[in-house]
Amino acid sequence: MNAAAEARALFRAFLREGRRFPNYNIREYVQRRAKESFHQASSITDPVAAESLLQSGRKELEVVKRQSLVYQLYGRKVKNVLELDLAFKPGAKQGEISA
Amino acid sequence: MLQRIGFQILQHGRMLPAVLSQTSAALRRFSAVPQPVEDAETGSVPIIRKKGISLRGVPLYLDMQATTPMDPRVIDAMLPYMTEQFGNPHSRTHLYGWESEEAVEDARAKIARLIGADPKEIIFTSGATESNNTAIKGVATYLKDKKKHIVTTQTEHKCVLDSCRWLQQRGWDVTYLPVQPDGLLDLNVLEAAIRPDTALVSVMAVNNEIGVIQPLKEIGAICRSKGVYFHTDAAQAVGKIPLDVNAAKVDLLSLSGHKIYGPKGVGALYVRRRPRVRLEPLMSGGGQERGLRSGTVPTPLVVGLGAACEVTQREMEGDLRHVRRLEERLRTGITSQLQGVVLNGPADPAHRYPGNVNLSFACVEGESLIMGLKEIAVSSGSACTSASLEPSYVLRALGVEEELAHTSIRYGLGRFTTDEEVDRAIVMTVTHVNKLREMSPLWEMVQDGVDLKSIQWAQH
Repeated sequence: MNAAAEARALFRAFLREGRRFPNYNIREYVQRRAKESFHQASSITDPVAAESLLQSGRKELEVVKRQSLVYQLYGRKVKNVLELDLAFKPGAKQGEISA
Repeated sequence: MLQRIGFQILQHGRMLPAVLSQTSAALRRFSAVPQPVEDAETGSVPIIRKKGISLRGVPLYLDMQATTPMDPRVIDAMLPYMTEQFGNPHSRTHLYGWESEEAVEDARAKIARLIGADPKEIIFTSGATESNNTAIKGVATYLKDKKKHIVTTQTEHKCVLDSCRWLQQRGWDVTYLPVQPDGLLDLNVLEAAIRPDTALVSVMAVNNEIGVIQPLKEIGAICRSKGVYFHTDAAQAVGKIPLDVNAAKVDLLSLSGHKIYGPKGVGALYVRRRPRVRLEPLMSGGGQERGLRSGTVPTPLVVGLGAACEVTQREMEGDLRHVRRLEERLRTGITSQLQGVVLNGPADPAHRYPGNVNLSFACVEGESLIMGLKEIAVSSGSACTSASLEPSYVLRALGVEEELAHTSIRYGLGRFTTDEEVDRAIVMTVTHVNKLREMSPLWEMVQDGVDLKSIQWAQH
């Protein structure tokens, strides 16, 4: 697998793992940050730099997986108000707040 | 069994957070947090009841100046040292000590790299409060025979002001410099206040209440030219704005772990070695940390601080861009829908850290506004002063009027804040301020063009 294909697979893995993170803020952060950094890195042509970035990317993916588990074990069981609204009323406008 | 479940999750990853799957139910049995009992009849999600308030869910966190959540990368770095690598870094005779010491020195190097210092110049403390106390009391005590004057500002953190008051009670002379209405220190006032017997100047880099960035380079240049030590409390600045102790000519710098997505209970103090800054230690004991701070260095916390600094060094630019964008969204969102909103602090974005948005809403009562905004976690005044009913001393030093100071709300934006949270905060703030203003006769008078200050209130 060449570097570009591996980078694409790694990016998809980040998005997949990130989507599964139990905490809303960190979930959104992983998605946003992965998109940003993979987009930035797509212009790199030097193979050595690409390989070192892939290495650090693989390590960070492991961190996301491990911490996802830790948050599932020790995180809160009550969701935050934004998630509750999105879960129960998927078409809810931002203006609908309960008094 | 837990290992197998955990392994399954890592391998197949079929676990969705909101869905009660079998593995999730199984994991819940091992959860460390006591579970709220689900209502069997209605099947409704349990609500949180605390301090007489009911919440339907956890509030959105918008109080990043009070504290920040730990970055998952930081927690990941700390866990090995909280489980099996638990040695005391000062034990010289076995593996536990050696690996612990290696981790501490590694963290020291990461912190030094972030502020442009040498690792030998960093000492670990229990937080920015201890660092500030050590710097101010330590330097003042060391120089007490020749120099007995300290210069600081009126908007410093309570620990700095209290340390100066402690020194004042024991015979030192302290000058508390006033600030301009936008929070910036006037450099001419500073220069005029420095005397031949001034030992130390202490000015914080970024203020925790209004986010004003002080001109550190210029202050450092003035102090260096007069031969006075320059201490800065950079707890809110490190990792958020670029900071270099040599470019800014800083001699002492305090930083805090829990403001940069690291653990609470740890901080560091930078003490310059060239030219050498000498100070009397606060904590006496076995002479750890170059004799400046005795006590076992808490390896997991220090490793967390190092990891936080390393992550922050990579993320600083991206974070700043993100926070700037969110600040623009929040401020324009609120000011476009409400009148009578005042931004406390400098309007010039070059002098303000964008993650700190302190707004005052005219003709609205502060306590009722905060109670109404219970679905977002924000602060009014700093956490240290909120116990009393007095308005914040920082806002008073800026010359903000009593009523406006009472209704100030501080929104803290950070790395993990999302656009949707900001939008929700705007909607809630606008709705609630309008609701309160509708009930307010003062607001009616303001709308009619009456100048509130010209009213003669009748005495009963």
